[in-house]
This record gives sequence, structure tokens and C-alpha cells, in this order.
Amino acid sequence: MSAVAVTRPRSRKRLRKAGWNALALLVLAVMVFPVYWMVTTAFKPGHDILSYTPQFFPTHPVLSNFTDAVHQQFFWNAVKNSLIVTSVVVVLSLVLAFLAALALAKFSFYGRKPFIVVILGVQMVPLAALIIPLYIMMSRLHEVDKLSGVIVMYLTFALPFAVWTLRGFLLGVPKELEESAMVDGATRFGAFVRILLPLLGPGLVATSIFAFILAWNEFIIAYVFLHTPEKQTLMVWLASFTTLRGTDWGPLMAGATLCALPVIIFFLLVQRKIAFGLTAGAVKG
Amino acid sequence: MAEIEFTHVTKVYGGETPAVRDLNLKVGEGEFVVLVGPSGCGKTTALRMVAGLEEITDGEIRIGDRVVNDLAPRERDIAMVFQNYALYPHKTVYENLAFGLRMRKVPKDEQRRRVEEIAGKLGLADMLGRRPAQLSGGQRQRVAMGRAIVREPEAFLMDEPLSNLDAKLRVQMRAEIARIQKALEVTTLYVTHDQVEAMTMGDRVAVMRDGVLQQVDTPQRLYDAPVNLFVASFVGSPPMNLFEATVEADGSQLVFGETRLDLGSRSLRDYSGRRIVVGIRPEEVREASGWDGARVRGRILLVEALGSEQLVHIEIAATPLERADLVDAAAQPPGPSLGVEDLERSVTLLGRFDRHLLLTPGEAVEVAIDARLLHFFDLETGAALPAANVQAVAGVAG
Repeated sequence: MSAVAVTRPRSRKRLRKAGWNALALLVLAVMVFPVYWMVTTAFKPGHDILSYTPQFFPTHPVLSNFTDAVHQQFFWNAVKNSLIVTSVVVVLSLVLAFLAALALAKFSFYGRKPFIVVILGVQMVPLAALIIPLYIMMSRLHEVDKLSGVIVMYLTFALPFAVWTLRGFLLGVPKELEESAMVDGATRFGAFVRILLPLLGPGLVATSIFAFILAWNEFIIAYVFLHTPEKQTLMVWLASFTTLRGTDWGPLMAGATLCALPVIIFFLLVQRKIAFGLTAGAVKG
Repeated sequence: MAEIEFTHVTKVYGGETPAVRDLNLKVGEGEFVVLVGPSGCGKTTALRMVAGLEEITDGEIRIGDRVVNDLAPRERDIAMVFQNYALYPHKTVYENLAFGLRMRKVPKDEQRRRVEEIAGKLGLADMLGRRPAQLSGGQRQRVAMGRAIVREPEAFLMDEPLSNLDAKLRVQMRAEIARIQKALEVTTLYVTHDQVEAMTMGDRVAVMRDGVLQQVDTPQRLYDAPVNLFVASFVGSPPMNLFEATVEADGSQLVFGETRLDLGSRSLRDYSGRRIVVGIRPEEVREASGWDGARVRGRILLVEALGSEQLVHIEIAATPLERADLVDAAAQPPGPSLGVEDLERSVTLLGRFDRHLLLTPGEAVEVAIDARLLHFFDLETGAALPAANVQAVAGVAG
């Protein structure tokens, strides 16, 4: 009797755990399947793509979709534009957000609290509500159909998040570390470069990943602001596979796969730097 | 080595009441001075002003011959140990120790030699490659000390460096820091809220309260001759017993409860007919048999055996001190017990008794109070009245 009484709650616990695991697997499948479908479709010949019985694995993989995509008009233009926009957004947002976060975290000035609140607040305004007024404003400034205009737009969306994140990281670094460096003989700037900056690495990486993804993957703004085909970014270029006569699925999926690659590569490059808890051991016993 | 001198130093944060008020203090060459006081008394602010981490609102701070008011921290040639150690987490122990030398452009070989020497002395030689996160609390504390020592600065500033350690390690490091300071003969200003630390480590102890320096003296003088009620209640553990009494008979007698105490040579003529505060250290409260002094009847409330001695709480008839603003809040004696009808106004005296005395709570007891050992304070100002000559009496009585 007692044995049953003991094992019952344990087996129930195990059952519950298995249930959660099954749910997690289901969610994973739902998330991963579109990606899988995109990649496999990119390798399928045209008749396989359009066949009524779905092909879950490309039995006769071809590379023609990729060559078609790459030879599609304006591909290299789009690659160049996307790279320019993304790299400028990443660099500028890092520099600006870092300085802004520094001011918010380390200095006290009049209006600091409202500023912090506003930073959070602006992120809650939906993009759809902003896009028309922004378009009007930018066209008055003659910044429509220019990469610089899009860069400014992306920065306005990347900065609040970046400032907020970096401020959190900065607050996590005890002020005694800088003070100690200053007493030890460093200038304020020296303490900042030698002590604060290395400790902020994870924050800077997280912020740059965010800015990269935002700038690389953005569609609506780029679509609305960039009219000339030569000036379009990759995401807008992808849309060009959908024409009045239908969608060219093979090259579209090949193009989409190619577009996803840089984000993955960038993430793999910097993810090792996301070592949270780097300040462990700085203070206290 | 250099001396540190505060001259009329005041620090005000944004128009509020000053954190430090007109501080005058001199730390001699090679001297170990402890700034002590309850939290918020301005001791850390005073230290940070010496380090250059806090601006000086008014007055002057000198290190050696230089007025340092306008010098950046790095130009002051001082080393500081922080309460939370402030080790650089991304640097190894070696890099932490060498950081100050590197900043001062000491040649690489010299850096290595000095770091290794200090690491050897502090028992850190095997840990030079580790990072702070891989060290125990005591080791981190030692790295923080080493980082200060290796610089060979003009002065050490220490801001509660032991408060993050457990009790046992704290006692051990207390002695170690004092030993290192003596060996190096570096001028040291040390901040703590722990009066035991202050008393055991300092050549001289400076007691602060609400931004005002109360008294600077050797630990023994501070203990024997506190200048006011605050210092009297702050210094000493367990704290001094304090209660009110009336001066009568033209200043020659003290009356509290049923007790009438002859003051002998310590006449309080000026206070005749007035109420004053009486203080007596726990070790001067004695079980009556075999001791001189007035007998005071009381009742034992509690006996705390400490092994080497026992702390006895004795309730006597007297008026408790009601001016809480004059004493250290943490050191306030337990209030009078409730439910004792025959003692209308009672005070709990704390006595350190010999461990061989058999005492049980509830028992009536007689204690001897020697008028020569009492401390007297003005009830209005808290200032000490003519000092008790404890040393002389203790010599006689012991």
C-alpha cells in the first residue's frame, strides 16, 4: 500500500513532465517547419514544388533555383544596399545607444526619469500608425527613396531598445570598479575603456544582434520608402518574385534561404561573446 | 609615507543637511586612524573625499605637503580598499594586482617582481592566473589588499574592508591588516561601523555622528573618558549602563531609586539639585560581596553565560534615560521589564560577572557601585562632567 502511495505522486510528476516535453516538441515543430519547407523547396525542381502530393524531402535536389535567384535582376544591388543599411544601423545604434545609456545610467540630470519612461513609451506605438506621418515628414526632408532615409528610420526603432538594454548592463557594473581604477591611476576615460567597456561586451553583442536582425529583416519601411529597384534592399527584392502572373516559388525560396544566411552567420560569429554573468566575482564574498 | 589632514572640511549634497560638518582631523605619518560611527554618520564620505571620489564643498584636505582638493584621484597617490573589494572581474589576479603599476608605467620586470612578492606574502602565489569569480571571499579580500599594497602608495584608505567576511575570517583578517599596516608603516585611514574593529585596530579612533566628529583619541582613552553620552554609549560592547539620577546635598550625594551614593571627592557642586546622567561600564558593576562602594539592591532578570564570564541583567530602581537622541541608537539598553510592581521605575543594569558566581534569574542580588568609577553626563547637552579616573581606581580595586 505504502509503496503505491509513494510512487503515485512521482509517476504523476513524470507524466506531467512528459506532457510538457511533448508540447514543447510540438511548438518546436510548428516553428521549424516553415524554415524546413523554405530550405527544401529551394532545392526542389519546379514540378515537385507545385505537385499536389507534397514532397517532404527533395528527392532530386537541384541548384537551378539558386542560380535563377542570383541572376534575378537587381540581386547584387539589393545585397549591397542591405549590407550598407545594416552595417550603418548596427554601428550607429551601438555608438549612439552606448553614449545615451551611459548618460542615463551614470549621470543624473534634469528630466532623466521622464526620458527613460518615454524611451519605453515610444516602443509601444504601432509601426502602422507611424508609417504615413513618417513618410510625409521624410518626403519633406527629401529623404524618401534614399538609403540614408531608411537608415534614419531604422535607427529610430533600434535605438530605444538598444538604449534600454545597454542601460541595464551598465547599471549591473558596480561603480566601485571605475572608482577603483581611477584611484589606481586611470583617468576617467581610461577607467571607462579598460574596465567598463570589456564588461559591457555581452550587452553590446546583444544590442548589435538586435539591430542587425531589425535592419536586415525589415520589410514594410523599406517597401514604402524605396521605390527605385536599384535602391531596394533584399527583403523588398524578394517580393519581386511575386508578380501579376503568379509567384515563382523555387527562386523565391532560394532567395529567402540566401537572405537568412547572413543573420545566422552573424549570430554564430558573435554568440560566443554573450557570456552573461561576466561581472561575477567583482564584488562581495 | 605622508600625513593626511582635514581642515574645516564640509560636504553638502545638494543643499541638504551636511554629510560632513567642519571636520578637523590629522592622521600622522604611519599612523592607523579609524573613523567609526553608525551608518550615515559621514565617515565614508570623509574617506571618499580624501580619495577624490567626492568633491569637497568647503575646507581643505592635505596629503603630505599637497592640498589635494582639486587633484584627480590618480594624482593623489593613495590606494583604496573598497567594502565590496571592487576587483576587476575580467582580469586575472595577476592583472588585478598589476593594474595600478601598469597605469603608473612601472617597467614590466619591476611589475612582475613586485606582484609576485606581494602574492607570496599574502598566500596568493598559486592563484595569480585565476579570476575573482574563482576565489573565496577571504582570497578576494586579500587580492584587494594586495592591490593596495603593491602600489606602495602614500596612504591607504579602507572602506569597511571586512564587513563582507564571516565573523571568524573577520577576526583573522583584522589582525592581518593591522600587522601589515605596522610592518609597512603606511599612513592609514580606515572606516568601519564596528566599534570592536575600531578599538582593536586603530592607533587612534575618531568617532563621528551625524557628520560631526565627536572625539579622537586612543582606544583606551576613548573607553575610559568619553567626552559625551554618544561616545560613551557607542564605544564598548556590551555598552555602558546609563540612567538618570539627582544630585543632592550640595553636590556630594547622588540619589536614584532607594540608593543614596556618596560622591566623596567627586563633588558635583554645580549640579546640586539637578538631574544628571550616570554611566557605569558592565565590568564595573560588581556582585556586592568583597567590593567597596554603595550597595544597590536589584533582581536578576537574565544570565548569559559566555564561558569565560557571564553577562547578568539586573533590574534596579532608577530612572531610565529618556533622552534617546543623545545616545547611539544601536546601543540602547533594553527597556525596563513590565510586570514588576514593586520597582516603579526600573533600569536594567548589565554586569560582567565572574563565571564562578552562581546566579539564577529571579533571585535578589546586591551590587556594589563605586562612585569613583562612575561617568557623569549633563542631561541637556550629553557632555561629560569631570572625568572619572577609572585607571587609578581600577589599579586600587583590582
